[in-house]
Amino acid sequence: MPAGRRGPAAQSARQPPPLLPLLLLCVLGAPRAGSGAHTAVISPQDPTLLIGSSLLATCSVHGDPPGATAEGLYWTLNGRRLPPELSRVLNASTLALALANLNGSRQQSGDNLVCHARDGSILAGSCLYVGLPPEKPVNISCWSKNMKDLTCRWTPGAHGETFLHTNYSLKYKLRWYGQDNTCEEYHTVGPHSCHIPKDLALFTPYEIWVEATNRLGSARSDVLTLDILDVVTTDPPPDVHVSRVGGLEDQLSVRWVSPPALKDFLFQAKYQIRYRVEDSVDWKVVDDVSNQTSCRLAGLKPGTVYFVQVRCNPFGIYGSKKAGIWSEWSHPTAASTPRSERPGPGGGACEPRGGEPSSGPVRRELKQFLGWLKKHAYCSNLSFRLYDQWRAWMQKSHKTRNQDEGILPSGRRGTARGPAR
Amino acid sequence: MSRREGSLEDPQADSSVSLLPHLEAKIRQTHSLAHLLTKYAEQLLQEYVQLQGDPFGLPSFSPPRLPVAGLSAPAPSHAGLPVHERLRLDAAALAALPPLLDAVCRRQAELNPRAPRLLRRLEDAARQARALGAAVEALLAALGAANRGPRAEPPAAAASAASATGVFPAKVLGLRVCGLYREWLSRTEGDLGQLLPGGSA
Repeated sequence: MPAGRRGPAAQSARQPPPLLPLLLLCVLGAPRAGSGAHTAVISPQDPTLLIGSSLLATCSVHGDPPGATAEGLYWTLNGRRLPPELSRVLNASTLALALANLNGSRQQSGDNLVCHARDGSILAGSCLYVGLPPEKPVNISCWSKNMKDLTCRWTPGAHGETFLHTNYSLKYKLRWYGQDNTCEEYHTVGPHSCHIPKDLALFTPYEIWVEATNRLGSARSDVLTLDILDVVTTDPPPDVHVSRVGGLEDQLSVRWVSPPALKDFLFQAKYQIRYRVEDSVDWKVVDDVSNQTSCRLAGLKPGTVYFVQVRCNPFGIYGSKKAGIWSEWSHPTAASTPRSERPGPGGGACEPRGGEPSSGPVRRELKQFLGWLKKHAYCSNLSFRLYDQWRAWMQKSHKTRNQDEGILPSGRRGTARGPAR
Repeated sequence: MSRREGSLEDPQADSSVSLLPHLEAKIRQTHSLAHLLTKYAEQLLQEYVQLQGDPFGLPSFSPPRLPVAGLSAPAPSHAGLPVHERLRLDAAALAALPPLLDAVCRRQAELNPRAPRLLRRLEDAARQARALGAAVEALLAALGAANRGPRAEPPAAAASAASATGVFPAKVLGLRVCGLYREWLSRTEGDLGQLLPGGSA
């Protein structure tokens, strides 16, 4: 049962536009002379109605022999049989239908209301267009790529769905002179967008608006006034390189090139960098990179792969005071920080835990030895603390050996073993 | 379908009479094209009914089979005709289809403007029907069985219009045209198959 939203209980508000001629010899609904067959005409034909309104339709049967009856006729809407209580026989050849509180049309080509004979054969059809007039388009935003074109996007209006095909037309003109122009390349960046590819003036404002039209009416957006130079964007910075900073395990260096299309104009360009750990979706943003083409990221985790992207805001082009529009992010570039030489949690065997031991001749020599090792060998983790641990271990295992020959502190049989090398 | 026909010299002769290799290749090529276009026609029909809304897509939907100017469905007697006569009828139908498909496309551009795939399929169908019709006529000429008389021009879309019709009849008409397109393609494929060695492929 059609049951739409509450709304004005109005009849058809508007007839559909004129129809193109077709290659049809017999119009559905025209009587066929002498055939013995019945046909019918539904009225109204193809009405347009507001959601929530009512419709009174009739199916009038013609036939040969005359005296065709309306008894046994029935209605379907979009293939579903309508309850008989919605219909009544007006006269011998006419069946009426009353629909209330109509829902929005199920398909843009119109809801199919069909009058059937008793045997189910189709006698006539009419398409209902039930919807809403368009609302004023809002949120028009425009941008120019490298000052060469203009792309605009808008939102259809508060409720969006009109259930009817709604045509949107982006119009523009120079503010103080010139004729209205209509954008021609639609749906370039989404369903409600249009692209003006050329012949745009700089240093003079444009007025831009959107007109929405459907079978039930039309609406016009507010006018947006802008100068092309105030809405410039550009390509993402090319050649983004990310590299290590020597052996620094918590830093990466990012370098890029100024976008080539505007590089002669980008005196005040701003850049933004974002980076994330390989397995994360959370980006960190570095915001204050102004007019430079390199930056160093610090405070990073050692031994970790990072993805980095850069984007550019070409504000201040030709003296524009407006903020400019950020470019898209560059393609992600990845690099990893050096692995830390300090052991992580649970590694622990070489972790110094306290201050240096007291000095003595052996310890002084050992200290020199350890300093030499740090410079000339790959065992920078060695420290006095490790030496003291070793001494303590040796004393303990010697004592245990004296107490219980061949028994190790772990309870296993065998000789005492020194620390693992 | 009848398997009697197939030869250049004698339409009644057994189809095992061999054709020139290049002609046979051309027949195979045209037959393959007809086979492919039959599949496309099926897809077009499915897309069409979906966009018109129910009851068009329902199995029980049985609209009146309205006559269409300049084109009728293959007659039941078609299968009994000699193969070159069948192919002449196929070619004539394929020549009549493009303006009908164009008319359906124009109407669907109003009814379903946000259905680019359907509109593209209808445009392609008109082009493909033209191409296959020309290929069949070329084959007939090569077989020496081309139609010698002046060919009747298919009715132009704007010229033979009966009257402005409602949306529902326009939807039904479009369904009829898409159905006829599929029927004639399928028939052409079958008739071309009769020319191949061994009968229908």
